[in-house]
Amino acid sequence: MDKITRRSFTAGAAALLAAGTVAPAATDTPDTIRFGAFGAGFGQPYGVATFGVAQAKDFIANEFKDTPVKLEWTYLAGTGPAVNEGIANGRIDFAQYGALPNVIGRANGLPTRVLLNYGPTTIFGAARKGLPIHSIKDLKGRKVTFQKGTILHWAFLRALQANGLSAKDLTVVDLKTADQLAALAAGSVDASIGSSSVLSLREKGIVDIFYTSKDIGLKATGFGGILVTDQFREKYPDATRRVVTGLLKAVAWIGDEANRDEALRIWSKSGTPYEALQEEFHGQSLKEAFNPLVDEFLLAQFQDVVDFSKSEKLIRSDIDVKEWVLAAPIHEALASLKLEKFWTPRHADGSPKA
Amino acid sequence: MNVRSVAVDRVVDRFPAVRRIWTARAVGHRLLPLAIPLIVLIAWQCAASLRLLPVQILPPPLLVATTAIDLIRGGEIVDGLRVSLWRIGIGFAIGAGSGLVLGALLGLSRTVEAYCGLTFRLLAQIPSLGWLPILLLIFGLDETLKFVLIAKASFVPTVIATSESVKQIPAPFREVARVLQLPARSYLRRLVLPATIPGIFSGLRTALSHAWIALIVVEMLAATEGVGYTMVWGRTLFQIDIVIVGMVVIGLIGLAMDTGLARIEQRLQHWEARP
Repeated sequence: MDKITRRSFTAGAAALLAAGTVAPAATDTPDTIRFGAFGAGFGQPYGVATFGVAQAKDFIANEFKDTPVKLEWTYLAGTGPAVNEGIANGRIDFAQYGALPNVIGRANGLPTRVLLNYGPTTIFGAARKGLPIHSIKDLKGRKVTFQKGTILHWAFLRALQANGLSAKDLTVVDLKTADQLAALAAGSVDASIGSSSVLSLREKGIVDIFYTSKDIGLKATGFGGILVTDQFREKYPDATRRVVTGLLKAVAWIGDEANRDEALRIWSKSGTPYEALQEEFHGQSLKEAFNPLVDEFLLAQFQDVVDFSKSEKLIRSDIDVKEWVLAAPIHEALASLKLEKFWTPRHADGSPKA
Repeated sequence: MNVRSVAVDRVVDRFPAVRRIWTARAVGHRLLPLAIPLIVLIAWQCAASLRLLPVQILPPPLLVATTAIDLIRGGEIVDGLRVSLWRIGIGFAIGAGSGLVLGALLGLSRTVEAYCGLTFRLLAQIPSLGWLPILLLIFGLDETLKFVLIAKASFVPTVIATSESVKQIPAPFREVARVLQLPARSYLRRLVLPATIPGIFSGLRTALSHAWIALIVVEMLAATEGVGYTMVWGRTLFQIDIVIVGMVVIGLIGLAMDTGLARIEQRLQHWEARP
């Protein structure tokens, strides 16, 4: 190998510096767009909700057909908190994850904006087989496990509230999904709160399901935003527009009941069994459930999560939700796709605006 | 051998008072160990000021200090430490205590070695955390799980150090003891203890550091309180300053425990060396 002389070193360093300063200005399409989302906890490289379908059906890839842009999809086993870390160290441009970690990231200064609603996550309550737990009210004095700091945390405490209870009426045990199974099996906890993935515990005969957030409705159903980083949005406005268009096409596709079965099959690649997903969305209009609009309802829901996070001391600084959401891209995309009338905006309480 | 080194020490250090004079040079020498932490602190402050990493990933030292004060005032640190120290106290007492017994037996008796040596060495190969999945299923999340894991982590190094130290008592010493027909008590006190204490104590220090590691890891994976859990919670809340405070606390407590053991070891050696 050649010896590195001082001159060649200086030349190389100068070239590097020049490349570093010139490259960003040279093009306004990115080489790669990095999408990051929560995983279903099974370590599969596939996701659920809007990202899952947008990836599987190439809705975003098709928007970039005339460009060399590459798309990267990452589904993190560490769920929301891991997505926040990914955004912080610049490895994620667009993120789909729960509202509570959305809020925690924002409150800690992550430069993000909310573009649209990714969809619902139905919450299930599973009690160890044989215990006399048949409803949320029966949890009084029991040991209950769920992963704190995720959207389950908010949704479950709101469900307790709707039943006249608070977290003080029971013992909360903060565990990741895989450890919850062990804790249930060993009898260390009485019940666990989770997404449809807990349904597979019922198939194994370990638990009985005593609660679903459908009992209460949207006010206790998991949700979250699809976020873009300021850095990406400001540098690549055109790519941002294309991504939002692709995402909306995906949500519209999900909303077509003819695609229900295919959508469930796509989501089941994440590791959550097809049957569990079927049960999760049974009796629900997917078009209504996956309403992506940045409407009064979404703002009210985010505000509720912010208030919750403050009262639970999960965040140290306040968030202005109105300033955080960015409705312009979705409105532009709705207009260009002629989908303005496809979804009905909702009032703050979730009822449709006539 | 350590008897001699202590004696030599005494001969050289005939004027202990002279040593205590605080010359500038002596003070400088005492401050030397702080040089690297200081450099790290300055580098950290520079990196934070220059925004080499996002503030969410590398918060400035001052924020971490403020958080530390908040956590101490709010009682989170004290509560966490109380739980963690309780766990390590029980676990280490069980693990090191039984380790001393088995180690001594392995070192003194060929029969015990023949029966247990292989099994012990085999089990010692499985890292403490390799036991976690199955122990979690057996004991659930209760304190027993932490005690068992910490006990296991401190048991292995203690056994190895103790049995090796006992085996390495020089053969001529043993022979002399046999010729003198020392009673068992004197044999232990005059020969086995002085000859083995340095080895056993370095084993105990290793055991304590293993126990501390096992404790923090099990608290990070399967606990709802303790210093390790506080760190995981800090990560969940995306407040890395809490995580860093946890790291500092773990480091300082670990150092304090290690220093404590080293002091006890010194005391014991002096006691044994007393004519």
